[in-house]
Amino acid sequence: MSSRATDAKAGRLSEVIRENRTRVTVLAVLLFLFLAAFGGLDREDWFSTIMQGLSVGAITFLVASGLSLIFGLMDVLNLAHGEIFMLGAYVGWTIYTRFDTALDIVIPLLLLAAPFLLMPLWRMLASRLGATPGVRRAIGWGLLLGGGLVTWLSVTRFPLVIWDPGDFASSPGSFSTQIDLNVLEPLVADSFSGAAALAIIGLILGGSILALAMSSFQRTATEAAVGTRRMVTAAGLVALAIILHLSKSSINEWVFGLSTSWRFFLAMAIAVVIGAAVGAFIEVLLIRPLYDRPIYQLMLTLGVGFILIEVVREVWGRPEFTMARPALFNGTGEGCPGQGIGGFFSGCSTVEMFGARLRVYNEGFIVLVGILVLVGVTLLLKRTRIGMIIRAGVQDPDMVEALGINVRRVFTLVFALGSSLAALGGVLAAPSIGLSTGMGALFLLSALIALAIGGLTSFTGAAAGAVLVGLLQQLIIRFGQQGIDLPFLAEPFKPTPTLVPAASVLLMVIVLLLLPAGLFGRSER
Amino acid sequence: MSLLEMRDVHTFIGQFHILEGITLEVPEGAIVALLGRNGAGKTTTLKTAMGLTPLRSGTITFDGVDISERRSFDIASMGLGYVPENRAIFADLSVEENLRIAERQKGDFARKEEFIFDLFPDLKRLIRLPGTNLSGGQQQMLAVARALVADNRLLLIDEPSEGLAPVIIEHMMEAIRQLSDRSTVLLVEQNFIVASRLAHHYVIVEEGRTVQAGAMADLVNDEETIKKYLGAA
Repeated sequence: MSSRATDAKAGRLSEVIRENRTRVTVLAVLLFLFLAAFGGLDREDWFSTIMQGLSVGAITFLVASGLSLIFGLMDVLNLAHGEIFMLGAYVGWTIYTRFDTALDIVIPLLLLAAPFLLMPLWRMLASRLGATPGVRRAIGWGLLLGGGLVTWLSVTRFPLVIWDPGDFASSPGSFSTQIDLNVLEPLVADSFSGAAALAIIGLILGGSILALAMSSFQRTATEAAVGTRRMVTAAGLVALAIILHLSKSSINEWVFGLSTSWRFFLAMAIAVVIGAAVGAFIEVLLIRPLYDRPIYQLMLTLGVGFILIEVVREVWGRPEFTMARPALFNGTGEGCPGQGIGGFFSGCSTVEMFGARLRVYNEGFIVLVGILVLVGVTLLLKRTRIGMIIRAGVQDPDMVEALGINVRRVFTLVFALGSSLAALGGVLAAPSIGLSTGMGALFLLSALIALAIGGLTSFTGAAAGAVLVGLLQQLIIRFGQQGIDLPFLAEPFKPTPTLVPAASVLLMVIVLLLLPAGLFGRSER
Repeated sequence: MSLLEMRDVHTFIGQFHILEGITLEVPEGAIVALLGRNGAGKTTTLKTAMGLTPLRSGTITFDGVDISERRSFDIASMGLGYVPENRAIFADLSVEENLRIAERQKGDFARKEEFIFDLFPDLKRLIRLPGTNLSGGQQQMLAVARALVADNRLLLIDEPSEGLAPVIIEHMMEAIRQLSDRSTVLLVEQNFIVASRLAHHYVIVEEGRTVQAGAMADLVNDEETIKKYLGAA
């Protein structure tokens, strides 16, 4: 009886293998090649190379996973995804090193965003603006200009530290040192007086006019009522902004009193929230009108990416920063480096394992967060109702909608989730590789290659592809130092770092030639 | 007043004028068969009623409420269940998840479980399997069952007998007859024998227009009409 059951199971297994013959072969060959490559490394190098590969893979995965979720569900290839990753890094850096300024920026943004929650109200008003769509559109453009002007006038009159760029970006390096010594003093913002009170009203007004302008471009008239919940949320945002503004100095004092580790976790949390908000904003206002026009979406997201880069240049003054590692991963001195697994929790900056020296932050923490996100999102997809809806929506969004589920809301949610993962990746990468406006494009490329290798809409594929790309990259860098003894060359062959992107693309080409849908993708039906 | 009414509905898909004036009524409690040749616009009629293809002009009312401009999820939430032609079983979801995803209120599935498994005992056995592993007949049963999970007053069923073995068609007809005790049904059916045995009323569609409607009992004896619009008797 039991042997028959085992036979049946073995039969099914061999059937699965037969059906996926090419896939199994490709996986086996890849595994063999990687093992051979690691075998060729010097003894103490192979482990650190694997861990460094996993670290790069984890960051790539955080970018690729969001891309994959968004592309899978909505067929939108979000080319601004890399810039959201970059924005996450800059936001995280600001929270970490300059919390006072971050708070400064958030307050006017909250005021500006609040009116956008009342979209149904603006849509209703917009449909009464003029008789024909043409007239409405003309009024819309006028309102857009007017709203932009009011917003600009109000923002520049808002009491912000950031409007003194010399003060703000004078020396990021010295900020880092001050942070390490815990002597950083928050800058004192101008006090809230006279004209600044008008700026608050001006920002709400500016947001309202902009939202109305956006609504006047729609084609059909709608008469939907504004729900009480939206009203309360909008009012709550305004109240939150005012409370934050009034208690700014005490909040700053509290945050600067925290250890760098806590401030880093705070930076991660806030970057995730901001990433989600930016993602939701992009989806609702920009992508939604273009769902039936894929080419326009590509151009639009590409443009949004460029705009985000310029915004970062403008706001952050200078494009490149370094970010100090939080204290938890930066210990030195007695008892360091830590030994073995336990060494990761010793508070040292490095740890020795299998004869290799690993950095606790890069090869420990980043990899850990990558694994946690992989497990978390997998559980979300497999175990929750929303995950079930996402999996179904990837296949057939119309049918999901026809079951009575508001798919558009799920779209917004997934866009926000994907963007928040990218932003998390940005903060995580910042202490390891530093900040630059080009970091987004770099990781977007790796992520796209990883997705193509793993299968565009497969979440597991995104993880596998990202790890492969990361490992390949670190292998080449390591062989660049060590050199490969080739039989017909006198000198050992040393691959240059420029070979890294070429090798990833080559791997992608080979995988796609054999498996057009990627390692884990389902072929198009 | 009929449960579903479509008045002079016009629908375009891209530049193609698919529906050029569909008018039909579905009385509460009845089974109505939508008949016509391939490409006459039957499937598009169901999709338009469901809000999946937007209509250009005309009105659709459900239970007296105008649903012409509403979005699909909104229409479904009013109590419309849709069983599409291709069955649209979610391949990545298990049979159970395919049913649970149709819940509109918590506990819908638990309430309907017995009724659904009475109609389709096979599904109970397959509950853990992924949607891809089902045969055509099993997929059709699941698609119908999925529309029964929420409290739907009207079911739009597209070609339930297509591609099924005769035994399974019999089973499916019996199931539809039983579920029509609870819900009104608008049925698209190529197989006239199946349609005539199930439906109380018929609507014939030709080139996107309603050309004739009435009681099924009258149509069965009207060989001329059957030959003219449906090809074969």
